[in-house]
Amino acid sequence: MITMSAESIDIIFNPWLRTLLGLCMIGVVFGGAMVVVWFERKLSGDIQFRLGPKYVGPFGLFQLVADAIKLMTKEDLIPSKADRLLFVSAPIALMGSVFMMLVAIPFGAVVVNGVEYPIVATEMDISLLYIEAVSSIAIIGAFMYAYSSNNKYSLLGAFRNFARMIGYEVPLGITMVSIAIMVGSLNIVEIAQAQSPIWFIFLQPLGFLVFFVALMADMGRLPFDQNESEEELVAGWITEYSGMRFGLGFFAEYIHLILGSMLVVLLFLGGWNLPAALTNITILGIFLPTVYFLLKSALVILTIIMLRWAVPRFRIDQVVDLSWKRLLPLSLLNLGWAIILGIYLGV
Amino acid sequence: MVSEMTGIIEGAIFAIVALVLISFAILTVVSRDIVRAALALVLSMFTVAIVYIMLNAQFLGIVQILVYVGAIGVLILFAVMLTKKNMGSENND
Repeated sequence: MITMSAESIDIIFNPWLRTLLGLCMIGVVFGGAMVVVWFERKLSGDIQFRLGPKYVGPFGLFQLVADAIKLMTKEDLIPSKADRLLFVSAPIALMGSVFMMLVAIPFGAVVVNGVEYPIVATEMDISLLYIEAVSSIAIIGAFMYAYSSNNKYSLLGAFRNFARMIGYEVPLGITMVSIAIMVGSLNIVEIAQAQSPIWFIFLQPLGFLVFFVALMADMGRLPFDQNESEEELVAGWITEYSGMRFGLGFFAEYIHLILGSMLVVLLFLGGWNLPAALTNITILGIFLPTVYFLLKSALVILTIIMLRWAVPRFRIDQVVDLSWKRLLPLSLLNLGWAIILGIYLGV
Repeated sequence: MVSEMTGIIEGAIFAIVALVLISFAILTVVSRDIVRAALALVLSMFTVAIVYIMLNAQFLGIVQILVYVGAIGVLILFAVMLTKKNMGSENND
């Protein structure tokens, strides 16, 4: 077994360098969003037995290139009756909120000599609260998209978006709180590390269910994409947008998808924890936890994409009903369960 | 010497943030478009959170974002959306 000397560890893993590493990982997530777009097109094509996108180039990879060229070269239209200032700044607001969320999410860990160094751009004591707070800002960016285009379909989409977000932020927050109560910390790194023997999905199955559904609604994935619903609202909040401004909104949704699935893995599916016997081997310890974590996130993304083709879209009143009448009581029940379990386990 | 420099930098950053905060606050009152006023209010709340974080009160800053931007700001925007809209409508050429 090779062991590194203390000085070299100090050089490699000083906090500034780890921040830099975390920022690099944010860049990787942007590339990852492209991969997820490809993945979704390919998988959807396969599920629906479509000809088309999945045969462009090897594994349908060239479809990505075609998409990118189309987005970049399209004419950048601004409707003449639109509110220009809001129209132009809406993509900035939406992407900004996504950036702010990325900063606090750990993308894995490096284990050297049995010590874990999480890869995260900023380490905060209250990162879970921060993520919850910043994720609620994204709605304002989407609102700016919809309101500034001066289109009734966009406005209807924004209405639905607001009604849905207000409903689903509550169960989402309460489930996050019940996790924090079990661990006794709001630090997302500590929460991931606390699942070392048992994943929280086994301790709080109800919490996982509520969290997953609320997260799907929060991200606007298909059973819950009433703000977009192509058939009735012609893409809703994003109708008037074209070219790269549309592309940024689209991109923000996919990055949100990646972030959400990482959050599921961090809070319920055990984070990057591996048996110590594996991570104590120096070379494995450096990259294996991160790879393991990213693989699990990819699996969650796969599940979410497949759910898109398995479940039809709900009506907006059904969605609001589901949130306030079902998920909220269930999440409160889960909160009680978490408190009892926390006392029993002696946290 | 070093602490003096950081003091100056901190002061400069605070001056910028305070200027942004005040200008958004004035914009909230002055703006003629109700949605722009609401958005300026949200942004000034957000800048207050930045001031809190600069004063080393991270928890207060994040709760400020959670409550004032995430909840109150969203509710104000939701309510504003229900009002009559004149922006760029047909009879407003």
